[in-house]
Amino acid sequence: MRRCPALFASFGLAAMFLAALAPAARAGDVAFLVVDAKHKPVGDAVVTAYAAGVKADQIHFPWPQAMDQHNLQFDPFVLIVPVGANVSFPNRDPVRHHVYSFSPAKVFELKLYGKDETRSVRFDHAGVVALGCNIHDGMVAFIKVVDTPFAAKTDDKGQAVLKGVPAGQVQVHIWHPYMKSAGNEIVRTVAVSASGAPLQTIQIDVRNAPDRRGSY
Amino acid sequence: MLFSRLRTKLTVLYAGLFGAALIAISLVVYASIAANARAVVRDELMSSGTVFDRVWTLRADELRGSASLLSRDFGFREAVASRDEATIGSALENLRVRLGIDMAFIIGVDGRVTGQDPTALKGAEARLMQAVEQEDNPSGVLMIGDTPYQATATPILSPTLVGWVVFASRLDAKEMGALERLSAIPLDAAVLGRDDKSRAWVAPPGVSGLAGGEVSRALAGEIDQAMAAKAPEARDFRAPGGDALTLVKPLKAIGGDGPAALLLSYPMARAMAPYSPMLAIIILTGAGGITVLVIGSWMLARSVTRPISVLDEAVQRLSRGENAAVEPTTADELGRLATSFNAMASEIRERERRITHLALHDQETNLPNRLALDRAVEALASEARRNGLKLAVLSLNVNRFTHVRGAIGYALAGDMMAEIGQALQRLRPGDPIGRVANGVLAVAFPVREVDEARRIAAHLQHVLEAPVRLGEHAVDVSLTLGLAVYPDLVDDAALLINRASAAVDQARAGHRGLALFDVADYGDPHAKLSLMSEMLGAITAGDIFIHLQPKFDLRLGRSTGAEALVRWRHPQRGMVMPDAFIPMAEETGHIRTLTEHVLSLAIAQQAALKAQGFDIAMSVNMSGRLVGDAEFCEEALQLARQAQGELCLEVTETAVIADPQRALENLERFADAGIKISIDDYGSGLSSLAYLKQMRAHELKIDKAFVIGMAEGQKDALLVRSTVDLAHSLGLKITAEGVETAMVQALLTAMGCDLAQGYFIARPMAQADLAAFLQRERDQDAGEVRPKRSRPAAGAKIA
Repeated sequence: MRRCPALFASFGLAAMFLAALAPAARAGDVAFLVVDAKHKPVGDAVVTAYAAGVKADQIHFPWPQAMDQHNLQFDPFVLIVPVGANVSFPNRDPVRHHVYSFSPAKVFELKLYGKDETRSVRFDHAGVVALGCNIHDGMVAFIKVVDTPFAAKTDDKGQAVLKGVPAGQVQVHIWHPYMKSAGNEIVRTVAVSASGAPLQTIQIDVRNAPDRRGSY
Repeated sequence: MLFSRLRTKLTVLYAGLFGAALIAISLVVYASIAANARAVVRDELMSSGTVFDRVWTLRADELRGSASLLSRDFGFREAVASRDEATIGSALENLRVRLGIDMAFIIGVDGRVTGQDPTALKGAEARLMQAVEQEDNPSGVLMIGDTPYQATATPILSPTLVGWVVFASRLDAKEMGALERLSAIPLDAAVLGRDDKSRAWVAPPGVSGLAGGEVSRALAGEIDQAMAAKAPEARDFRAPGGDALTLVKPLKAIGGDGPAALLLSYPMARAMAPYSPMLAIIILTGAGGITVLVIGSWMLARSVTRPISVLDEAVQRLSRGENAAVEPTTADELGRLATSFNAMASEIRERERRITHLALHDQETNLPNRLALDRAVEALASEARRNGLKLAVLSLNVNRFTHVRGAIGYALAGDMMAEIGQALQRLRPGDPIGRVANGVLAVAFPVREVDEARRIAAHLQHVLEAPVRLGEHAVDVSLTLGLAVYPDLVDDAALLINRASAAVDQARAGHRGLALFDVADYGDPHAKLSLMSEMLGAITAGDIFIHLQPKFDLRLGRSTGAEALVRWRHPQRGMVMPDAFIPMAEETGHIRTLTEHVLSLAIAQQAALKAQGFDIAMSVNMSGRLVGDAEFCEEALQLARQAQGELCLEVTETAVIADPQRALENLERFADAGIKISIDDYGSGLSSLAYLKQMRAHELKIDKAFVIGMAEGQKDALLVRSTVDLAHSLGLKITAEGVETAMVQALLTAMGCDLAQGYFIARPMAQADLAAFLQRERDQDAGEVRPKRSRPAAGAKIA
């Protein structure tokens, strides 16, 4: 999994921004640690929570809604966007890319476009959109289209924090592109008090990424 | 011994040794060929295994490459993503046909199969799912039912994993056949997998070789062992159909547990097949060699043993006395042995000839001897019998041979006999002659009749009785001839020579020059001998007794004595004449017992007569043989002491001739004991006045031949008269025997003879009769009456 360090900075800023917005009395933060079967931290796992009464409209995440192509890779590997978001696909490579998705959530194809060209696609349905490049099999990325404001992805240390989650019994979905389970996700219920919840350690079973060495 | 013949032994030994060597060589050759063939097959199996690896990898890469291409084709991915099954199916079919593979399908991450009827997979999809769980891009053997497939599953990433493209190519007999053709040797190749449920090894249908049909337990065990080995290596496998070399290579399997197996096998029989002509040639050559060797060693053995057999037979001929010479065929030891054998055989034959000559010839004269003549007579007798002829044996005795020999010496006597023999042989050329005794020659010749033999004998006598010249001397030869003719005169050919000799005796007895054998005269010596054996018994049984013949005193006119004469009444033969047993008793020594018996009987009867009032002088004949017998003398003197009257022992003058000194001594002892001595049969035989002078005799008995002759001739009467005078002059009484007529008695009386004895006076008679006779004499004396006697009785005196 490769990601851009610049994104972490924006992610941090966005979290702080969200925490400032949340009503303090009726919500709390929930921290997650996602590990694999061998208790190693798993990055790029997307944690989403659904709380009753929270509207899905006007969701904004503090990270750019863009999927770069750089060094023959998509960046980031996993991108969380809200429903209805317009995601740009800037090509920063000197070669052309042919970005496509056969995922039911959004089937599209961005035919060969060159360096510094940008295409944008609007995602209207929640779900997972797997991205590939028809030219470069080694390029793969996932766009997680969510319909909840409580969404975060784990960092290298497997940690993610959901801020301002309303108190009460909260349904938490943990998704990872290579998780061995139906829909590549599992669901947990977390009791969230006003002061948040203790650290949630989630163990998931992840398979290795498909071997793409034979790719051209 | 196992072999009775040297030839067989040598043949078997040689052939056996060579055969053993040949078999050993053949075995070594076969073993090295087999080892070589095994090594070749082993190498070939290993290299085939390597080739197979290469082919396998190439095919796997090809399959994987094709699948990979397909799985990344954008259109195909789009079709998969949009679940456009028709498109997917056509794409798969297109590629399947293009690649010439057996199966091409997609299996989704959910296990759903597209592009292939799932039932045809017979559950193989489960193993595929199992494999892709563990590995992104599995490739290996996929068992679909019983049939192994080389398969590869390549993930379809669009871009996430949505499923796998699976290509599978059947590894059936046809496919393996292609592999088999790559090998330099026609080996059998098969890929075996494990049955889903039973886990047993299964082979695809239609494969040939070891795995054909059902995989045997032994083969399964062999495969398991081979798979357990670190590195694949060729192994020997003892299959029921023959040994085979096998190479088992594990092949990665898709799903299931444990790898599949590539089984390369090559039957040793097939490996050895190219060598079979060579082996056949070796066996044929060996068999031919053994045959040649058997024949050769048989011939060699025969060449060695034939001279030995020849020698063996020759030795047997030699032992039979036949010609035993052998032909030396070789110059080796056997040849020398044959030469030595010949020399030995001829020496033996020469020695034998000499021995035979010695055995059959008289050394003194070199004439054939008695034994030779015996044989010749035997042969001639049977020949004559066959031809209807008779065989004559003529015995020629040189008269007075001992005298002649004494005169001319032994050497000349021998020469003389040789001369006569040679003359005889010249006269009877071809007829066997022989010297049968010192002065006796004999010749045998066949004749038609007895008279012919007699004529020949007479002629021979005539010719041979010529003086024999011995150097400067001439010796007169007179011969007495005896002739025996078989079967007319002699019924036993073996006795011919004896009978001829007997005839000589008979001729001499009859003072004839030639006599034919007279069987009647000869008597039966055999019967005489058997009589002797019966004599002692007869004495005990009382069958031998005495008769007494009175001795008449011519002066007193009455009988004053009697001569005891022995008689034998044989229970079967009747009365046996004394002539028939006295001479034999003398010859056999029985005469002593007999004389003692007679003496004791005479003494006893004398005593009995005396008891009846008759005093009789008892005369007993004593054989000349007993005169010199000291023991007999003792015994006789012992007996004589019991005599109750005068005893007289009658002996002939000749009795003293053999040993005069001892005989005269004994006679002295008798005379000293008061026993009278009478000289018996005086005048016959060789009467010697010298002995007459020396013998202390009391009586002279004149031989009856003279007494009987007195009646007819003047000469006998004169002889008797002079003898009577001679006796009286010497102070001897004289007794005349054989007085048979009154006239003779009267003459004797007139001559002054003392005593007379004869039939005219009385025949010999039993004691009781004598007593009666004496009584009558006594009565007659009183009445001067002479009794008339005509009782016939056989009588003969002892000796």
